[in-house]
Amino acid sequence: MSEFIQIEIDPNLCAGTEECGKCVTVCPVNIFEPGSPLPGISETNEDECTLCELCLQNCGPRAIQIHKLYED
Amino acid sequence: MMRLLEYKSKEILVKNGIPIPSSVLVSDLSHASFPLPAVLKAQVPIGGRQKAGGVVEVQTRQEAEAHLQRLLSSEVRGHPVESVLIEERVETTREFYLGITVDTVAKKPIAIFSTEGGIEVEETSKKNPNAVLKRHFPASTGLPEFRAREMISQCGIRGRLLLRLSATLSRLTAIFTRYDATIAEINPLAQTADGKVIALDCHMELDDDALFRHATLASLSQKSKQQKGHSEKGDFEKKAAEIDRLDQRGVAGRLIAFDGDLGLIIGGGGASLTAFDAVLRHEGRPANYCEIGGNPSVLKTKELTKLILSKPGVEKLAVIMNIVSNTRVDLMARGVIKGILESGRVPSETLAVFRIPGAWEEEGFKILRKYGVEYCDRTVSIDEAARIAVEKTRGNL
Repeated sequence: MSEFIQIEIDPNLCAGTEECGKCVTVCPVNIFEPGSPLPGISETNEDECTLCELCLQNCGPRAIQIHKLYED
Repeated sequence: MMRLLEYKSKEILVKNGIPIPSSVLVSDLSHASFPLPAVLKAQVPIGGRQKAGGVVEVQTRQEAEAHLQRLLSSEVRGHPVESVLIEERVETTREFYLGITVDTVAKKPIAIFSTEGGIEVEETSKKNPNAVLKRHFPASTGLPEFRAREMISQCGIRGRLLLRLSATLSRLTAIFTRYDATIAEINPLAQTADGKVIALDCHMELDDDALFRHATLASLSQKSKQQKGHSEKGDFEKKAAEIDRLDQRGVAGRLIAFDGDLGLIIGGGGASLTAFDAVLRHEGRPANYCEIGGNPSVLKTKELTKLILSKPGVEKLAVIMNIVSNTRVDLMARGVIKGILESGRVPSETLAVFRIPGAWEEEGFKILRKYGVEYCDRTVSIDEAARIAVEKTRGNL
């Protein structure tokens, strides 16, 4: 389970792995998995998130949210 | 560094004109002939063999065979004894220390001579600094005999003894450079009743990066590793190496185990040695030495933390690094905190100190604050962080 970072994909906004899937490609630490129809999140990898925000920049519909659990 | 066994170091001495006692190397209970009385010396790549029972004096052949049998079926500080050097016992009138190493501050080789051989030169330096002479010399030329004479004569040694000692020192500097050694030590160099000098023990270590120039010696190292199956590494070190191999990011697994109560996660441009020495200076008891850096993944840091905390007797953990640029403070903090939590411990009670200033420190400090961990920024030196860790482990802070 992730302790520090939680990543959410809004299913109502995400275009899906087949149509987009950019988050799966750009994440340097493989947090996003090529699920169907939506990308999945690797819980074991969430804490490896480097906060590079490449996923946010590449997500056209802005479906991704990154939560820093230590700031709550 | 590749440490040569004593017999191999002595072969090099003889080749270069430095006398040694007559001896025979045995690896089984063969009927080898040897002089008596003799000294039996286990051939293992460590210092302090005498204290560890690896060196014994014998008077008779029966005594020699009994000790030989015992040595060849035993280990000396974890090193199996594969061969024993049986050496004639030499009557000595005086003992000296000769050592060559690299002065890493001056970035030059340095020759060290002491009139008090047989014991560790560091001890002599502390108790009687005037008895230890040091002189830098160029790696390209070694120390010429006339320079060695200038050096040794400062101790008041004159005549033939001066000539013999300076010739030996000069030859040792030549060996040091020719064999790409990082250390070449004769301790003791003994004076015999007839005034000659003879090397009773020799310690040589060669630079691993230069072993390709010494194929025969390098093959000895390979053979030795194959025979032992790398048995010099304990389970703790092996598990750490496995953690380091979990992924390619950074280094988090080069560990050496000790018997202390303070686990160490240390590193950053040589800071691991600085931090380790600082813990010792403040009379702390490290549970391990460690090298961490190059921005390891959270997973690796977490697993390393768990491994160190699983070691019996580890009370607290000190995380100390130099100011980091390519390692991220927040990722280190995540790994350490997660490792502590998964070990079933409380971060604020387990972490004696967390001193990693540098890249992403604000984010890292936010994480530490959330878990009630006191952290140190760059205004706290590595030495001070080590002191805090030692004091907290003792319950003084």
